[in-house]
Amino acid sequence: MMDYDSQLKVQARLDGELAAQEVPELEARLAEDSEAQALLAELEMTRGALAGFEAGVKLPESPELFWSKIQREIRREIQREIQRGPKPAEASRWASVFAGWQRWLAPVGAVAGVMAAVLVIGRSERAPEVETYLADSGAFTYHDFAARTTLVWLSYPADNELVDSEEPDTLD
Amino acid sequence: MVRNETEAVDLSQEAWIKGWQRLPQFLGESSFGTWITRIVINLCLDHLRKQKRQRMESIDAINEESGGVERQMPVVTVNPTAGLERSELRQRINRALGQLSCEHRTVLVLHEFEQMEYKEIAKTMGCSIGTVMSRLFYARRKMAALLAGLKKEDLR
Repeated sequence: MMDYDSQLKVQARLDGELAAQEVPELEARLAEDSEAQALLAELEMTRGALAGFEAGVKLPESPELFWSKIQREIRREIQREIQRGPKPAEASRWASVFAGWQRWLAPVGAVAGVMAAVLVIGRSERAPEVETYLADSGAFTYHDFAARTTLVWLSYPADNELVDSEEPDTLD
Repeated sequence: MVRNETEAVDLSQEAWIKGWQRLPQFLGESSFGTWITRIVINLCLDHLRKQKRQRMESIDAINEESGGVERQMPVVTVNPTAGLERSELRQRINRALGQLSCEHRTVLVLHEFEQMEYKEIAKTMGCSIGTVMSRLFYARRKMAALLAGLKKEDLR
C-alpha cells in the first residue's frame, strides 16, 4: 500500500506543485504501480467533475446593487463614527500630543516673557539679548547690558541644585 | 463555501465593509487580494460555525486526525459523473460539497475554483502548506466517494 507521503506527491504532481527533482521518481512509480495510477485517475476525475462547476452560478442581484449596498453601509458607518466621537485611542493620542507640547510650554512661555520685557524695557543703548541653546532647549540666558544683569533660566534643576529626595550637606 | 447564493452575497458585502474598516491595519505584507480573501474566509467560517455545523466538522476533524480515513478509502475506479446531465452533475456536486467540513470545502474551493496555489491557500487560511495538502487530499477523496455513493433518489 502507498504511504501517505507518496499519496500526497501524486496529488502534488496533478496540481503541478511537485518539486522538479521529485518528478522523475514519481513518474517511474506511476509507470509500474497500479495503485498509484488508480489514485491519480480518481484525483483527476474529481478535479474534472469540479471544473467549471462554478461557471454557471450567477449573482442573485446586479453588480450595481451589490456595490451600492456596500457604499450605503460604509456611509452609515461613517455617520455612526461621527456620532460616537473620537475613539479612546484617538483621544489618548491627542492627549499625548498635548503632553508633548506641554513640556515646551514653560520654556517657550519664559522666552516670550523675557522678550516682552525686552520690548517694554529695552531703551538702553544696547538692547538686552536673549540666548537659547539648540543643544539644551531647557536653558536660556538674558543679558541686560544697561543694568549689567545676566539671568540664566533653567526649566529643570541644575546639577548642584537640591532635589526633594536629597538631604542638604550640613556643617556641624 | 456557504452553498447559498444570498448568504454568499451578504457575506461578501460584509467582507468589503470589514475590509474598509480594517484598511489601516493592512500593512502591505501580503497582496490586497490575499488580505481581503482572508477576511472573506474568516467571515464564512464564522457564519458556518454559527449555523451549528460544528458537530459535523468535529467528526471530520476526528477522521482527519485519527489516522486519516482518506488513506484507507478505496479508490473510486468508475467515474460516477460520466453520462450525467449537467444539471444532475451540478446537483450531485453541490450535495457532496455540502457534506464536507468548512475547512475542507474552503481548501477545495480556493484550489479548484479560485485556482490558488498551495502556498497562497496556506497564507490565506493561516495554516501550513502540509495542512493544505492534507485537507485538499481528504476533500478530493471524500468528494470522489460521495459522488460515487450519492444515488439519484438522494438528490430529490
